[in-house]
Amino acid sequence: MSSVLIVFKKELREVVRDRRTLIAIGLAALATPLIMTVISQLATKTATQTYTVGYSGEIPIGLDVLLQATGLKLERVADPATAARQQVDIGVVFQTAQVDEYYDPTRQSAQIADTRLQTVLGRYEAAKAEAALRERGVDPGVLHPLPIKAHPLSSPIKAAGNAFLSFFLPYILITMVLTGGLSAALDSSAGERERKTLESLLLTPAPRSRILIGKILAISTISLVAAIAAIGSMLLALTQIALPGAEGASSRITLTPLAAGVMVWLAILLAGTFSSLTLALGTLAKNFRQGQAYATPLYFITIFPASIILFIPDFNPNLVYYLIPILNAVLVLRDAIVHNTVAWPALGVTSASLVVAGVICWLAALRLFTREALLVRS
Amino acid sequence: MSPAAVTVDRLEKTLGKNKVLRGISLEANAGEIFGLLGPNGAGKTTTLRVICTLLAPESGSVKVLGFDTLSAPEEVRRRVGVVTADIGVYPRLSARENITYFAQLSGVPDGELKQRVGAVIDRLGMESFANQRADSLSSGQKQKVAIGRAIVHDPEVLMFDEPTSNLDVLASREIREFMVESRGRGRCVIFSTHVLHDAERLCDRVTILHEGSVVATGSTAEVRGRHRDLEDAFLELVL
Repeated sequence: MSSVLIVFKKELREVVRDRRTLIAIGLAALATPLIMTVISQLATKTATQTYTVGYSGEIPIGLDVLLQATGLKLERVADPATAARQQVDIGVVFQTAQVDEYYDPTRQSAQIADTRLQTVLGRYEAAKAEAALRERGVDPGVLHPLPIKAHPLSSPIKAAGNAFLSFFLPYILITMVLTGGLSAALDSSAGERERKTLESLLLTPAPRSRILIGKILAISTISLVAAIAAIGSMLLALTQIALPGAEGASSRITLTPLAAGVMVWLAILLAGTFSSLTLALGTLAKNFRQGQAYATPLYFITIFPASIILFIPDFNPNLVYYLIPILNAVLVLRDAIVHNTVAWPALGVTSASLVVAGVICWLAALRLFTREALLVRS
Repeated sequence: MSPAAVTVDRLEKTLGKNKVLRGISLEANAGEIFGLLGPNGAGKTTTLRVICTLLAPESGSVKVLGFDTLSAPEEVRRRVGVVTADIGVYPRLSARENITYFAQLSGVPDGELKQRVGAVIDRLGMESFANQRADSLSSGQKQKVAIGRAIVHDPEVLMFDEPTSNLDVLASREIREFMVESRGRGRCVIFSTHVLHDAERLCDRVTILHEGSVVATGSTAEVRGRHRDLEDAFLELVL
């Protein structure tokens, strides 16, 4: 049997018997749908929640019905401005020719109530204006000399779902590929030194490069399993829960086969690169704990590119940006999810970039793994 | 006379800023227990690590059964088994799985694997705990696993580096008996220790190292010379 396969099988067997890694994978698989469910519940609650409007003065006829239909409950108060600080969500003073609104922008409930109030008042004003024009025999169409009729090229609800997925999926993929195999990587490198098995391993005639490849393959497998478990459970959860969309419609988010294929391909490349990298860092460390300290900055470095999609959703860089590992994977995955297309040059550059990064990390790990200092320091 | 199993010729080695070995030479033969003696820091472990190819010689040369450690390290490792004081084993594998893993990496053919591992378990008296996970074994049992993995590929040269330093009296005696048995099988046994009493009882020939240099070499009787025991001779040489 090849020494690569021997090491691979042994490492996998150890991981399967290691509670830490199994618990991490299990928790990820359970936590993701749980988070999705909580987000869904919160979104639904926010969409259907009733907010309180503290008011004084006389409400224009018909407006009270409109406000209550939009989830705004009216409550008469002595001083709307004071009440808007805590007692109610917003305060409104109805005057003969004006409506004064008081709200605290730091409160989310006040922001939502404000948006609803503005919408209702806008419609009320438009209805009143149209009625007045009709009374005078004027076509209300004069109010809209250039009406816009929108023709969305895809479902706005679907687009919202895709936008949600385009952030969360790369984020979970990268996080799980990194963290899923981290414990195994450190156990397989720093752990060998800590429990003093490294010297015996290096005494075997098996070439060190093959030992290292066996370890990297095993760690990559664990990373992939962790990532697929987390994403699979997330997608499963998304088929069961609905995120509320505009106009009361709800959306169910699904991943297209193309996006799923791109995701698996990128996960394989990322797993290879991260495995080599974490193994190299673990080889530098004298023990598991020191390895964890070395690996901690990786969380920030890897999560930052995923956050770009959150802050700049329409970030459309040129091909040079696709040379940057991790960022390129996030961008390709976003395009596959949002537009259901793959720009093959971008995918090619991304794949080449990740392969080169993986090879560099592997060479670094091999160099560290063959240093005499590896044994002398331990 | 057959050539020596292990030949170390004018070996020098620096680790960091420390010159650890200063031109040492020695020869160990098949069918003998060769003692590598010296106080802590004398260079015993470094010498063994160069012999088994874990460290490269800075100058000088080391040959194991005719194979140079620099030009044919894998051939050397195929013929060497090392037991150290650090009895690290894979805790989540059983004793049998630990030995099997090293047998596979040492090139034992798949067809012979089960029989070879079983024979080692029999020889070391490990039947009662062979299928137990290594993290539940005692120090003595772990040491047997460490010996098992070092001999499962049937090496012609066996090196023991302070093998009894972490063991109780009973386990230490079993190690000594194993070394004697290996000598009887015609193996070259190199025994590195600072416990001179053990060396005097077991070794056919010894080399004493001090601060990276050989200060005495010869049969145990020759090195002891006019002194009451090896310890007295050693103290006179290094003080």
